[in-house]
Amino acid sequence: MSFRGLFIAVLLSTAMIVSAFVLQAKRPRVEVDRPSADLVKATGKCADCHRKETSAVVHEFEMSRHAKAGVVCLDCHQPTKGQEPYDHKGFTITRKLTSNNCRACHEQQVDEYMKSRHAAPAWAAVTGAEDFTPEQIAFAEAIHPGAVDRPAHPLVAVQGAASINKGCRQCHDIGKPNPDGSIGSCTACHARHVSSVELARMPETCGQCHMGPDHSQLEIYHESKHGVLFNVQRHIMNLNARPEKLTTEDMPVPTCATCHMSGLEGEKFTHDVTERLSYFLFDPISQRRPNYEAGRRNMKAICLKCHTNPKIQEFYGGAEAVVRSTNKLVKEADEILAGLRKENLLTPEPFDEPIEYLHFDLWHYGGRTAKHGAYMGGADFVQWHGYYEIVSKLTELKKSAEEIREKAGKTPEESARAAEAAQAAAEAAVEAAEAAAKAAGEAAGRAAEAARGADLPADVFTPGANDQPGGAADASNTPK
Amino acid sequence: MLRTLRSKPWLARPLFWTEVFAIINVGFIGFDVAIAHQMNAFEHSSEYIPVFYSMAAAPLLIVAMMLGGPEPATRRARPEGYAPWRVSLSRQIGLLVGFGSLVVGIAGLILHLRADFFQNMTLKNLVYTAPFAAPLAYAGIGFLIMLSRMADGRTREWASWVVVLAAGGWAGNFVLSLGDHAQNGFFHPSEWTSVIGAAIAFGFMTAVLVVPDNRPLRLLAAGVMMLQMAVGLAGFGLHVYANLARPSATLWASFLYGAPAFAPLLFNDLALLGLLGIWALAVNRNGEPARAEVELQPVA
Repeated sequence: MSFRGLFIAVLLSTAMIVSAFVLQAKRPRVEVDRPSADLVKATGKCADCHRKETSAVVHEFEMSRHAKAGVVCLDCHQPTKGQEPYDHKGFTITRKLTSNNCRACHEQQVDEYMKSRHAAPAWAAVTGAEDFTPEQIAFAEAIHPGAVDRPAHPLVAVQGAASINKGCRQCHDIGKPNPDGSIGSCTACHARHVSSVELARMPETCGQCHMGPDHSQLEIYHESKHGVLFNVQRHIMNLNARPEKLTTEDMPVPTCATCHMSGLEGEKFTHDVTERLSYFLFDPISQRRPNYEAGRRNMKAICLKCHTNPKIQEFYGGAEAVVRSTNKLVKEADEILAGLRKENLLTPEPFDEPIEYLHFDLWHYGGRTAKHGAYMGGADFVQWHGYYEIVSKLTELKKSAEEIREKAGKTPEESARAAEAAQAAAEAAVEAAEAAAKAAGEAAGRAAEAARGADLPADVFTPGANDQPGGAADASNTPK
Repeated sequence: MLRTLRSKPWLARPLFWTEVFAIINVGFIGFDVAIAHQMNAFEHSSEYIPVFYSMAAAPLLIVAMMLGGPEPATRRARPEGYAPWRVSLSRQIGLLVGFGSLVVGIAGLILHLRADFFQNMTLKNLVYTAPFAAPLAYAGIGFLIMLSRMADGRTREWASWVVVLAAGGWAGNFVLSLGDHAQNGFFHPSEWTSVIGAAIAFGFMTAVLVVPDNRPLRLLAAGVMMLQMAVGLAGFGLHVYANLARPSATLWASFLYGAPAFAPLLFNDLALLGLLGIWALAVNRNGEPARAEVELQPVA
């Protein structure tokens, strides 16, 4: 045999084989060391087609931290338990991603979200309990009594499906139950392919839903000093900082997420947006949450990164005074409506008479705005979009009630007597309800707080007559 | 059998079988491309070009064979027993088909260059980009068809070019095997077999090209080609098994998007071409071929 021929054959073959091994070895391990061949292929195969179709999706993903960490399309798009598999060009994927897909890697965050009002209570606020399984209702009701096992919002019937689908549900689907048994989708705040922490920290992300006359948080934030500073300093902030490592150097000015969720400088970060709240501000008459003390303490821990304790106490005192004051005004409006109902001058159906819309606007717009404005530092929203709206609508409400009575042929004296009787009855009913709620809340709160009772902040209002929502307490309680 | 060979001596010559090889290949590539472009849902109308080309090219070559005899003729070496116009027309048809193959192959290469890799030259994009080297199969077949009409099939030159084309095919097969299995991240170690096999085949084809007169080397190279046939059949079986074992919406979808079932048969194909080249080297000695030995015969 020719040595020259053999040498050439062996040399060339070996060189090619070695170069193939070297090339393969140079590939990032995160691309090739995967549990299945499909996960390896998805590294670039999906993008090969989707660069031509829905190319923005590919670019969004390439900007994500997921992409930098070696996560591939199939990691998220593979069906999990309860999801119907769908064959797509050689890959088995799921058509609809839910929080269950994120849970595979972010279990704690999904669990926290499930306990929050962003989960089942958000969807139930529009459609009631009908879309939930008994297990989902039981889970949510144990945390938020009455928030899920409830009827649909009365406006659903009044406005019709079209407006509800394109309106209410577009925001409230953050807690929509999914066919796989999970609830909601993390993409409501993090977006689908960029899966961005930065996006979730932007005020506009929360403001997709938390805006407008019924809950003007975005507008209030932008009026507040926080918002003004953020808009000026946004370009020097590091909104992409990892949640467990976020410092005031990254975000010297807070956004919604900083105060309500972020683990600023070692504090616990959470996806349960209720953990730092102390009042049910969205209610007509706002009462303390069962975790009132813990909520204040958690929030104040974040406030303390920028503000001194006396300043925080002063701020909280003023805000709570607004809560009590608006409660009083809303209760007055409630009593007027209750009186008319007692006199059979209103039908039992909601939203079928002008005065009911007036009453709804009073607390749903003016009342909420004043309270949110007070807690978020939006003075104009406390005053002109808040209190002014409340008192002007209350005046209209009183006038409208008089007209209804006159139209029904009742004398002013009769009306006054009826109104007094109704007021007394309403007060009794409200007080009974409040007492019951308070007792339940305090019992739960005591149980939860027993271990930490000694740590209660100094400015926590002592339960008593003056501290009743809508009671006589006012701004004089504010520590100076 | 001997009687048949005596009456049809072209059956015992590599030139005829090389032409048969070319006809089968130019037809089958169209079928393979149709499946490959179906994955892309024929997004661009130009993706139909190779399919239609193959549908026309293979019959045209058969017509050429019927016109000018079983073996292609060059301008100088013409078969006896055929009218000169028939031989000339047959040659022109063959050259046209060969040139067309060349154009389709190079155009395909250029069109495939629009893939991701050429926008962002990373190793990752190289692995997952459209197989830009694959259309060169048409170019290879086009060269083979033209070769048989431009170089005398009885010469060492012709035989050497067949070996060159076979070696080029193995080089391309090495790249394709490496790229295709890299998409899988060589998830199964057996996927390296094809890469190693193609590299060895290329090495031996090149060696035979450099040292064509060494019989033991030619025999060893022929043995390597036989081994590649086994590799191809094993690969075909593994690819089919992978597609059958993997649940999918339909069997068609499994084969369309799964492991390319026909791809390993490229090993058998190139092994055949390599064997034809080695055979041609063995029978086409240096210097002018003996006229009596390789006299072209008319179709009986």
